[in-house]
Amino acid sequence: MKVLVLHSAPRAGGRSSVVRKTVNAEWVRIGRNASCEIHLADPRIALEQGMIVNRDGLVYLEGEAGSQDISRKAVRAVRMKPGEPIDIGPYRMELIATPQGYDAAVSVSLLRPRETVADLGSRSARQTLASLGFSKRGAAWIGLLVVLAAFLFFPAGRVLHLPWSGGGSDRMWNPGPVMLAHQPIADRCEACHETAFEHVTDRACLACHATVGHHVSVAMRAGMLFDGVRCASCHREHKGVKPVQRDDDRFCIDCHRAIHAQAPDAHVKDTSDFARSHPAFVLSVRDPHLAFPHDKHLDPHGVRSPKRGRPRLDCADCHVPDASKRMFEPISMARACQECHRLDIEPAVTTREVPHGDPRAAVAMIEEFYAALALNGVADSFTRAFGVPGEGLLRRVGTPSTGERQDALRLATRKAAAVASDLFEVRVCKTCHEVKRQSAPGAKTPEWSVAPVSTTNRWMPRARFDHHAHERTPCKECHDVARSKSSRDVSMPGIDACRRCHAGSSPQEGKVTSSCLLCHGFHDARFAWDPRLAKAIAK
Amino acid sequence: MPHRNGSGSQVRHYSILEYARFRWFKTSLGLCAIAAAAYLWHDPVPHPYGGTWLGYTLGTAGAILIAWLLWYGVRKRRYAAAGNLQGWLSAHVYLGTALVVIVTLHTGFQLAWNIHTLAYVLMLLVVASGFYGVFAYLRVPRAMTANLGDDSIASLVMRIADLDRDMREKAMSLPDTLFSLVDRSIAGTRLGGSARRLLSGRDDACPTAGAARDWPSQASALKGDPAILGKEVFGLLLRKEQLLVRARRALRYQAILDFWLYLHVPLAFMLLAALAAHVASVFIYW
Repeated sequence: MKVLVLHSAPRAGGRSSVVRKTVNAEWVRIGRNASCEIHLADPRIALEQGMIVNRDGLVYLEGEAGSQDISRKAVRAVRMKPGEPIDIGPYRMELIATPQGYDAAVSVSLLRPRETVADLGSRSARQTLASLGFSKRGAAWIGLLVVLAAFLFFPAGRVLHLPWSGGGSDRMWNPGPVMLAHQPIADRCEACHETAFEHVTDRACLACHATVGHHVSVAMRAGMLFDGVRCASCHREHKGVKPVQRDDDRFCIDCHRAIHAQAPDAHVKDTSDFARSHPAFVLSVRDPHLAFPHDKHLDPHGVRSPKRGRPRLDCADCHVPDASKRMFEPISMARACQECHRLDIEPAVTTREVPHGDPRAAVAMIEEFYAALALNGVADSFTRAFGVPGEGLLRRVGTPSTGERQDALRLATRKAAAVASDLFEVRVCKTCHEVKRQSAPGAKTPEWSVAPVSTTNRWMPRARFDHHAHERTPCKECHDVARSKSSRDVSMPGIDACRRCHAGSSPQEGKVTSSCLLCHGFHDARFAWDPRLAKAIAK
Repeated sequence: MPHRNGSGSQVRHYSILEYARFRWFKTSLGLCAIAAAAYLWHDPVPHPYGGTWLGYTLGTAGAILIAWLLWYGVRKRRYAAAGNLQGWLSAHVYLGTALVVIVTLHTGFQLAWNIHTLAYVLMLLVVASGFYGVFAYLRVPRAMTANLGDDSIASLVMRIADLDRDMREKAMSLPDTLFSLVDRSIAGTRLGGSARRLLSGRDDACPTAGAARDWPSQASALKGDPAILGKEVFGLLLRKEQLLVRARRALRYQAILDFWLYLHVPLAFMLLAALAAHVASVFIYW
């Protein structure tokens, strides 16, 4: 069988070209396989789709599911006739007029062209991040605007009174926690930051801290001293919950190294370091007008006590720490002295004591006591008090005569004067005090004056000393009073005693490094920070 | 990496880090040394922070540096500006590194949850992304050259298209299962298209890789001529896969060189905004 195959293939431009092929074989195979006589290079065609055989004319056979094995069972067998084309997948095959020298002729043409598969290039268009739609510029703008809005414009609404000030919070601007005492106003920034773009003023601080003192008087400040220094120059806020302020020696020494260059009227001496150049301590000394020998009271054999025999006294029996534990309560007669130094009117007659601190009241009490005894005393007391037998005027039978009354009054008055004199000048007051009789001798009612006692409780008023911090040190280390016979003796330690344990601002082995502020304060209550302001706030 | 230029004389490649004999490295080192010395000498009460005179000085220096570093983005787009761009980049890298030291000292190590620390953290992130960029620019171009050689991504794509045509023709004569493997490889293989694929340089669902993997077991039944053809097609598939690996690696290198800038630039602008908020808030509540 010699068959002419006319295979027309579409070309660009809508035309088609025809490939002529002569097949000389028993059969003509049709398929995708290159070995097929009619080769249809198309994935829609089976590898060996079918075949044409000659059975008294051409017959097209197609195997099961396009299988090559058509001998077994043909599922499709079509006798080919001119004008009756057969569709094989997207191809059309038709018997055409047989040319000279051939047994038959077949035309094959493509009905439905295959959709061309785009090559890799078309699926590789998006090769960069930019081609995926990412935009550096877009992200930059969004980031910029989001941060500006969230962290600048939104919080700024409150302080700058912008339209959204109600909802704004500028907490994110807070650079750090405020100290505990200020936490109630931590979210009210304007309590301290009164005006935007301005430093916190002293006025804002003094609104609460009205009574705080300055370091120097207004007169001294006028001479440029502390010019431009604000509260906040030293007191730092937003530095944690504990108060933070300048406490370095440099702050003090800048002026106090040569204080008179800064403040010619200053009454203090130059200093720059406790260990090296601190002036001697200045004590607040005055006459105490009190007879008090420490040695007698600290007698190792003890002192006589009306109730406790001979107790041995030590410092703490009289010197009691105050509430701060740093200093001591002022010595009081009632607490420290009176247990032994009783103010008995006349121990042989009564246990009553005169009041302390008021000579007139004491004299009046003595007079009243003996007058009452003369008037109403029982016989025993009367006799002991007045040294004559008898009893109180009112206790006698019958109405007392004028003479008896005058006798009783005279008795009482004379006795009271004698007891008062004894009490003030010999037995009681004189023991400790400087007593002076004010009335003329023989006056009916004697009067005495007692020099006011002025003991010193703060010997160094410009320094702070913390006794509590020194409680492990025995008192006598600093206050050697065991042999002191007079209250005029000063038993305060000198600077050398302090320097035994305290170094200056530079550390020394075995010593406490001591800055200026360990003992001294900056603020002095004598000098109001701003007298005008303090007054204005008080209003 | 030494290489020969056109005239045949040996030239050395200077990286931007070595520019002008480490001029900017020395400058930055000097700046850091001055800042550190000042920080150590300065003894403010109660501790160092941004609000001392040194804090303000370091902060101002940092802000000026940030503005200048941002200006690099403008400068690199101007061809007629002063100084050569290589020098600018070298300075950008080294002064950006110095910025970390200066700003860290400016903070006095006082960090918290607020705008001030946000600005600091953003600055660190910008510099960190910049470090990654420097690392990428020092390492990736060399790897890129080693990978592509004289090829380009476009030429690889063309060669793959050639292989595809060849493969399609040859596979036509192979059974459907094998042909469909080839067909899927031709129709379904892609390059890039997602950030993940670009940055990983892999396509886990690549039909070409799948075809190359499945081919030996599928083609084992072939005998005679189809078996020879099958081997040929398999060879083409493997060559295609090789080319794809190279093309994807090339895309990955390109993406790495691009990627860090997508962090560096937006973070830099966020830093600019945070810096503005930081400075404004400090002076509003002075």
